[in-house]
Amino acid sequence: MTWRTSRRRNTWIMLAVAVVACVVAPLKPVWLDTVVLTGILALISLSAGLSFGQAGILSMAQGAFAAIGAYATAVCTTRLGLPAWAGLPLAIALPAVLAWVLARMVTRMPELATALATLALATLLEIVARNWDAVTGGYVGIAGIAPVEGFGVGWRFNILVWTFVVLAVLVYENLMNSAHGRALNIVRHDRTRAMADGIAVAPLLSAMLATSGAMAGAGGWLYAHYITYMSPQSLDTVASISALLMAVVGGVGYILGPVVGTFLLSLLGKLLPAQEAQGLFYGGALIVILVMAPEGLLGWIHRRLERKAAREPAAVATTATEAEHPARTLETAP
Amino acid sequence: MLEYVFRGLLNGSVYALLALPMTLFFTTAATVDFAIGAYALLAAAVATAVAGPLGIAAGLASAVVASLVMCVIYVLLKRTSKDGIRVALASFGLSLAISSIVLIVWGTKPFVRQTFTTVLEFGGLRVNPQGLLNVAISIALVAATWLVLQRTQLGRMMRAAAVNAPGAELAAIPVIGVQCGALVAGGMLGGTAGLLILHSSGMDFTASLGLTFIGFAAAIIFGIRSPVRCLAGGLGIGVIEALAAGYTSGMVTSMVPSLFMLVVLLSGQLGAGRYSGDRP
Repeated sequence: MTWRTSRRRNTWIMLAVAVVACVVAPLKPVWLDTVVLTGILALISLSAGLSFGQAGILSMAQGAFAAIGAYATAVCTTRLGLPAWAGLPLAIALPAVLAWVLARMVTRMPELATALATLALATLLEIVARNWDAVTGGYVGIAGIAPVEGFGVGWRFNILVWTFVVLAVLVYENLMNSAHGRALNIVRHDRTRAMADGIAVAPLLSAMLATSGAMAGAGGWLYAHYITYMSPQSLDTVASISALLMAVVGGVGYILGPVVGTFLLSLLGKLLPAQEAQGLFYGGALIVILVMAPEGLLGWIHRRLERKAAREPAAVATTATEAEHPARTLETAP
Repeated sequence: MLEYVFRGLLNGSVYALLALPMTLFFTTAATVDFAIGAYALLAAAVATAVAGPLGIAAGLASAVVASLVMCVIYVLLKRTSKDGIRVALASFGLSLAISSIVLIVWGTKPFVRQTFTTVLEFGGLRVNPQGLLNVAISIALVAATWLVLQRTQLGRMMRAAAVNAPGAELAAIPVIGVQCGALVAGGMLGGTAGLLILHSSGMDFTASLGLTFIGFAAAIIFGIRSPVRCLAGGLGIGVIEALAAGYTSGMVTSMVPSLFMLVVLLSGQLGAGRYSGDRP
């Protein structure tokens, strides 16, 4: 039971899942493609989880941040002829800087205004990508992006993707265990209290959104070098919204929630009869989760486990009269 | 120049119809229904499938049904949490689902239908009669909404629910009912806007989010408070869009609604006080 109390338990779980994914996926080429794309989506979805679940910034620009990362590396490798690894720092830094600037502007706004502002920004970036022919290639996009050196083969790239995901979870978990993470928890519950405690709220939230932007940018870097093609339609507003809703479905307040949501939606999405039905499935899943389990799938499971744990010792210790009213013991359980 | 302004006013009147439901729902429930554009899309799609004047009725009915679905979702969400952002997210989900249904049933073909083949001329300005019809319908609906809000018992209940929801509840005003009423009105207005767009410029299955966007931008540009401001906002955006289309590139034109929204939001128009449903 030590793993339950471990400060890195989410990372360990993620590592185990990643190992399974890397071992099982190469058995069939179709699986490999799905698993690689799921990993990239999971990374972008994790970034959405970090910004919405922890910093409370409902960012609908995560897809746009990923697109910036992807374009940055695409331009670096195709136009300047640099190796793929040279594009990585840029793909991480550019979205992080943009996210920082955006966050400095929006953190003072109420939640809803923030969401709309990030959505507006994402739309603007998409329009720029569509029209800035000299850099982004306009509607046509950029083709022929070289694969990452040494990771050109599918199964190797798969390992690279899942290494990124595990690293992201590690960073995320360490962040939440640090003083910054604890400060963030206070901000989420009560902003005024946080200010009274001497927490610099705006810089903290900006740093969080910048971290999340960096994560999304890394996802974009992987995406560009996997698909080897980047266009305005590749990581558009719909991708931003998908990342966000995967995080919400899985449980945005939990570190692994976005990963669970991505697994569930993108793997179940493969079973759909037609690509057109994807929106119906995603939208329906979002509504059902919001109505049935506001904390997401992991939140629902967590609550179930808590109830069970609360019931079991109670059943052993209580007298017969109390055992007749299990509902009451449930309510008084913490 | 004059022609651009005129054309902008014609387009803008439809935007006002998209803005109106935003205002109604935001002021009564302090949150946003992102599915307005989807109601418009659904109405347009259904109207093309049914021939004749019956199509218009069917389109409107489908939009209202979609908004009733949103009502059910809203009531269910209100049961578990008071958080407005969840409603906004759920309406996003509904919008995605409706777009997907339209894509499955009607495919990627654009929806457009021309009712008038003649073109009126006013001293060098060429106008499709449909444009004038759009303006007339929009102004009539904005005026009707204003009258309902200001002069009727229902309007007073809506305003009361907006200013102080717990107080209104204590005064035996069915706040949730009023908010659902605002949602259904949104379905009706959004559907009407969709039908008008169907008969003028047309749209395709990707339109829903863009329409929601334009509606929201038009609703907040002059402050999200009254139907008349919506009309002004819609006309304003329409004119600026038309001018941008005339004098700059297509890139700037497509940026207009988002830019407006960003600027207005950054200037703090949607402040914390108004966010909680408070009115100055």
